[in-house]
Amino acid sequence: MKHILVIDDSPTIRISVEYALKKVNIPIRQAENGQDALQKFRDIKAAGDDVALCICDINMPVMDGISFIREFRKIDKFTPVLVLTTESEQDKIKAGKEAGASGWIVKPFQPAELLGVVEKFIR
Amino acid sequence: MIRTETSRFGKPMCILYPGDYLATKEECILGTVTGATVSVCLYDSLRRIGGMGHFIVPGMIGTEGIVADQIAAHGVLSMEYLMGEIVKLGGDRKYLKAKLFGAGSTSMRVPQKESVIQSNIKFLKEYFALEKIDVQCEELGGQDRRKIYFFPTTGQAYRRFQRRNEDSSEFLKLEQEYIDTTFRDKVRYGKVYLFE
Repeated sequence: MKHILVIDDSPTIRISVEYALKKVNIPIRQAENGQDALQKFRDIKAAGDDVALCICDINMPVMDGISFIREFRKIDKFTPVLVLTTESEQDKIKAGKEAGASGWIVKPFQPAELLGVVEKFIR
Repeated sequence: MIRTETSRFGKPMCILYPGDYLATKEECILGTVTGATVSVCLYDSLRRIGGMGHFIVPGMIGTEGIVADQIAAHGVLSMEYLMGEIVKLGGDRKYLKAKLFGAGSTSMRVPQKESVIQSNIKFLKEYFALEKIDVQCEELGGQDRRKIYFFPTTGQAYRRFQRRNEDSSEFLKLEQEYIDTTFRDKVRYGKVYLFE
């Protein structure tokens, strides 16, 4: 079974994303920072399942989004990682791309647009 | 936002205007005046980090709650800006406490004012419940504007009601401009960049 991993330190954002993606019909797992997400990814793999997509914030305690993407790319080169953040500066977007992000969505997000982008990546 | 290096408290003071947010580890005072808008004060007194946001949710929130509502998303975004700055300073929302002020039924021109003010109060209650952030002080509603002084590193806050329009009159104009702009631009979304 495939999962979508939503990584954000805000429970409100995690639930909003889950609500926006309810039509996707893929189970959503939540993580509250990059370190937590790496552990959840290993747990999913250990259970014989897979991750179809990660959706990840940038400013998080313990391990931020850019550090997460760098670490994640050491263990998984292909699973798409979408950044969902309030950060819109070009140098940060460039850093995300160089770390291995597949896309960058600046909040506030339009639920239908997020759904469309997610469907494109998990197709 | 303006900053003065001296204040009657003997510390630098930053005055936040409607729409502003600021997080800091500095021993300073954050000040503002709220009318129909809300002022959210967040602090982690152990790590001595705190911040203030001053905003309004521009409309009424539907019955499905804030996670499913595009008007509430503006409030969530305002909170995300402030939270993001706190996290950059080493803070963690798990350890934050909050003090909330404002949402007064003041002389401001707000479309469907009473309903919008109630929606702002509903937003704050629902948001802080979802985030599991301890709200230490919740002073919302009423008829008057409030002048707030907040010490971000300790969490101390002082509030004074302002019943005369001559008090802090510059805030009246700025708040009205902010409310008008926010309601006019309430349908806006961030850009999407795809790298592959």
